[in-house]
Amino acid sequence: MKNEIYTQEKSRELFERALKVLPTGIPGHLGPVQSQFIPTSAYPLYADRVKDSYFWDLDGNKYIDYMCAYGPNVLGYNNEIVDKAARSQYEKGNCMALPGKVQVELAELLVDTIEIADWALFMKNGGDATSFARMIAKAATGRDKAIMVEGGYHGVAPWTQPLTHAGITQADVDNNLKVPWNDVEAVERLIEKYPGQIASFMATPYDHRVFTDNQLPADGYWQKIRKICDDNGIILIIDDVRCGFRLDIEGSAKYFGFKPDLACYCKALANGYNMSAVVGVQSLKESASKIFYTGSYWSSAAPMAAAIACIKELKRIDGPKLMIKQGTKLTKGLIKAASASGLDLRISGVPSMFYMRLTNDDSLMMQQEFCAECAKRGVFFASHHNHFINCSLTDEDIEKTISVASEAFAIVANNNPHRLGK
Amino acid sequence: MSDSLVKARCNLFAVLRGIEYLLENDSESAEMVKGTNLSIQFIVKNGPIGNLSIKNGKGEMLEGKHKSNIVLYFTSPDHFNRMIDGKANPIPLKGFTKLGFLTGPFMKLADKLNYYLRPEGDLLKNPDYFKINTEMTAYAAFFALAEIANYDRMGKMSGKSMPDGILQVKVEDGIGIQIKVSRGNLSCTKGDHKDPRAVLSFRNLDVAHQVLNGKLDTFTGLGNGKMSMKGFIPMLDNMNPILDLVPVYLS
Repeated sequence: MKNEIYTQEKSRELFERALKVLPTGIPGHLGPVQSQFIPTSAYPLYADRVKDSYFWDLDGNKYIDYMCAYGPNVLGYNNEIVDKAARSQYEKGNCMALPGKVQVELAELLVDTIEIADWALFMKNGGDATSFARMIAKAATGRDKAIMVEGGYHGVAPWTQPLTHAGITQADVDNNLKVPWNDVEAVERLIEKYPGQIASFMATPYDHRVFTDNQLPADGYWQKIRKICDDNGIILIIDDVRCGFRLDIEGSAKYFGFKPDLACYCKALANGYNMSAVVGVQSLKESASKIFYTGSYWSSAAPMAAAIACIKELKRIDGPKLMIKQGTKLTKGLIKAASASGLDLRISGVPSMFYMRLTNDDSLMMQQEFCAECAKRGVFFASHHNHFINCSLTDEDIEKTISVASEAFAIVANNNPHRLGK
Repeated sequence: MSDSLVKARCNLFAVLRGIEYLLENDSESAEMVKGTNLSIQFIVKNGPIGNLSIKNGKGEMLEGKHKSNIVLYFTSPDHFNRMIDGKANPIPLKGFTKLGFLTGPFMKLADKLNYYLRPEGDLLKNPDYFKINTEMTAYAAFFALAEIANYDRMGKMSGKSMPDGILQVKVEDGIGIQIKVSRGNLSCTKGDHKDPRAVLSFRNLDVAHQVLNGKLDTFTGLGNGKMSMKGFIPMLDNMNPILDLVPVYLS
């Protein structure tokens, strides 16, 4: 049975209004350019409402959402347990002159949950957390340089961006040292070149950069990095903002069998309520204490109540295991559906955060066509980014997705005979 | 900040290259060089070396030294740039008997370049003028982009981040420009490639004109469908900062 084709007139009308008053119309990563809506006409631009694994656009079209708001939707949109906890705290008080009791309760919960955590501090966005972690490393070591992995994403603060980007100056990136992913020797070379000058090594638990097949750590990679950091007084920071709670409830470092000094969380921490956190080992608690780093809403209580409910629920249902299971089921089905049309779909990364790419061309044009055909039929994928599974994704959702994908793969195969040797 | 070497390369290989287009598309220009068969070697000390040949009514700009009837020498990139701005003269080393071409038809061609690249008054309301202005500006901008990517400090950083392949810039139902990227080195050619790795399209000439003249930003153009992109987007992502540098060199 053919799937219905959507149109999105109301989204287009609103976008025309937006262009007059908002730079780029939709700023940031949700904009049609940054989101790689190729072609733009195939995609909805605005969401009207959400529930579980779905969003509805302004024209009333329903989508199965594999971007999950780029990660925050971990239990399912509008999860009743989390929303109830947040509502209850809102009624008591949210942004107050003093922090709420939930601040302590959330810190206790994170210390009990995340393997390496002896303490926790809270902020709002992933970028707040990564910037803070880098400051802690500098405070603890008295050094200024930081090793990062090429292509790694740690937010949008000036130090995270390439010098060639608008608004970035040399001073912003002077202390960054870059190494390829999985390259231990490159790290060793930098340490030799900058003895006693490197404060931190920051990376994501595995390489989940955009536009590229994701790569897991090579055998022993993290253990070697841990030893190098120990031997040279370097703080090991894991940016677990994207992976956090989708690989292992105790932290993605646990999943890969190593212990960082600091770990950053955001996205899945509170199921969509604005929260981020840095957790760390005891020896860095004093350094963290010395840094003045705060914001008007960082102590808001309702998102903390949401985070507590979210983590407890993830533990209760063993969320990471469930998401990996559903991700595996989905990706196996997608590979089979692609193959039926003579296409080769490569899946990489951990199944709860899979990245997919048609390997039949190296330009991603076929991948972009595939994602556009899926979007027109109510399945929301991204052609450039890893996807996100959430705990509310049902077997029926997966079945519907594979039905839509089969149709889309057939169209792509039909449109690209020259790339398939036909 | 403009670098005089990069500016000289842009002036020679992007702006003066416009003569190729003029001779093909402007009948008055073609008439000026009717029967002409010669080539001019430009030698800029510590700068670019290029050769402009005009034969059988066609122009061709090539990089490097080639057979020539006239050799023009410039003591520095700055000297060459001042000549382009009409504030300095070249030093002829060869072809003294043909200097009449330089002071006559060639100067008139240069005036034509200026006429089409720097619109005054209501000229843009004339559809023929508008087409030539926009197409010449597009060629100049993207040929300059390649020079900037290869020689400007910031441009080189972006260029080296561009993945290998052909990036096709296209005005739908109009001109095409191919940017070949190979290990961070960029080169430009006119026309369409059959299998580009990335494509940036303008819906029509008017949209191209708006973008090239800073009246439409690419995010808005891509968002509202007046422009489109597809393929390996890191090529475009890393080209954009270079495109932003073009006005610095072609102002």
